[in-house]
Amino acid sequence: MTSSILVTALQYLGYILIFPGFLFCFLCGNLLIGIDRKLVARMQKRVGPPILQPFYDFFKLCGKETIIPAAASKTTFLLAPLVGLAALVVLQLFIPIRGFSAFSGTADIIVLLYLLLIPALAGILGAAASGSPYAGVGLSREMVTVIACELPLVLVLLAIAKAVGDGTGAGLCFSMGAISEYQIAHGSLICKASMIPAAIAFLMVIPGETGNHPFDAAEAETEICEGMLAEYSGAPLAVYKLTHAVKVLTLTSLFVALFLGGVGVGIPAVDALIVFALCIVVTAIFISLVHAVTARLKIEQLFKYYWTVVSGLALVSLVLAWYGL
Amino acid sequence: MFKKLIAESTAKSPWLYHINSGSCNGCDIELVAVLTPRFDAERFGFKLTGSPRQADIVVVTGPVTKQSLNRVLRSIEQVPEPRCIVTMGSCPQSGNVFKGSYSVCAPLSKYVHVDVDIAGCTPRPEAIMDGLVKATEILKEKRGQK
Repeated sequence: MTSSILVTALQYLGYILIFPGFLFCFLCGNLLIGIDRKLVARMQKRVGPPILQPFYDFFKLCGKETIIPAAASKTTFLLAPLVGLAALVVLQLFIPIRGFSAFSGTADIIVLLYLLLIPALAGILGAAASGSPYAGVGLSREMVTVIACELPLVLVLLAIAKAVGDGTGAGLCFSMGAISEYQIAHGSLICKASMIPAAIAFLMVIPGETGNHPFDAAEAETEICEGMLAEYSGAPLAVYKLTHAVKVLTLTSLFVALFLGGVGVGIPAVDALIVFALCIVVTAIFISLVHAVTARLKIEQLFKYYWTVVSGLALVSLVLAWYGL
Repeated sequence: MFKKLIAESTAKSPWLYHINSGSCNGCDIELVAVLTPRFDAERFGFKLTGSPRQADIVVVTGPVTKQSLNRVLRSIEQVPEPRCIVTMGSCPQSGNVFKGSYSVCAPLSKYVHVDVDIAGCTPRPEAIMDGLVKATEILKEKRGQK
């Protein structure tokens, strides 16, 4: 009895620390950012940094001095980045890889929505604690970005819940596990006519959520000195950079789990590789390409874009799903 | 092993912070030329940061005017250790054509320790790149000593 508890505990520890938890997030997230930076450079006719550049950046920052401003409240300033990273690693545990997920529940989409908010909130808290006016401007913009992205995201998830719920006869289905099972049985959701606008809306939300071009008004380094990160240096900055990398991985793998869940062969290791390959494709097109061809939007343009175009697409999908298409 | 990893990474990921201390803008444009597609300093890991707190290398251009001296020194102090200070162009080294002016405090080395001087008015991008790569080597040495 006790040994079985021990085995289960070790198994969950493995999930949290190695796969699909911290180590997996660290390696794959940084790799995605490295590929993104290389691709953007190639699109701009540059040679670009090596693909391992984010790892170098991370270890370098770990070795730098950490300066805590006199005006900052120390505990919040140092803890905020860790809280954000922890929330994202937990979130990664909920995302299924073709039926396999470390944690699951009957309504984990709702948990997922809240967990997705925590890194942004932690960033806002840390920035507010730093006492810098640049961070103040950055955090007010970050709040607007979060609110702007939240509405289309909720609408997309509702549309999926309705479409899958109709398919399984459960009304509304808020379980990631059930969505994954449904897709394995009936083919990927992106093949359904009603889900195509939702998929496009979700892809448009990805750069906004991760704070990439053209939706990086909160971190505009040329006008507000990196915004929320203005006072961060050393190891806490390394954690913030890692959080950003993991967020790219989380959102792309969430897209793959929600819309391309039917792709795979059934062997977990091979499926994980396929999912990661799909993540790279999504990053390449919807983060790198978008970064290379657009300029930064003003914060009110960003808000308007998300609440009209993207929310509109998600709403179309929701209505279509309601009529059972 | 971890120490060695950090030292290696420090040499491969130097982030720049650029201070204009009353420069004529020539050097500033040339620095931008180093970062843009033609010379692409990002292949060595160089990146321009917006805040001195995130930088490893401080690039100072201009003859350090009386107005800017205090601000330059304060900005340099905000850069976390290990850091490397690079002067770019002839102005921060000698005052260049502004030498002897009542409002110019050059050379900068009177006030802080300067690690690398890149001479020229303005220096060629190749020279800037060479100076910056030398700065990364100094950065790695400083990291190793700690």
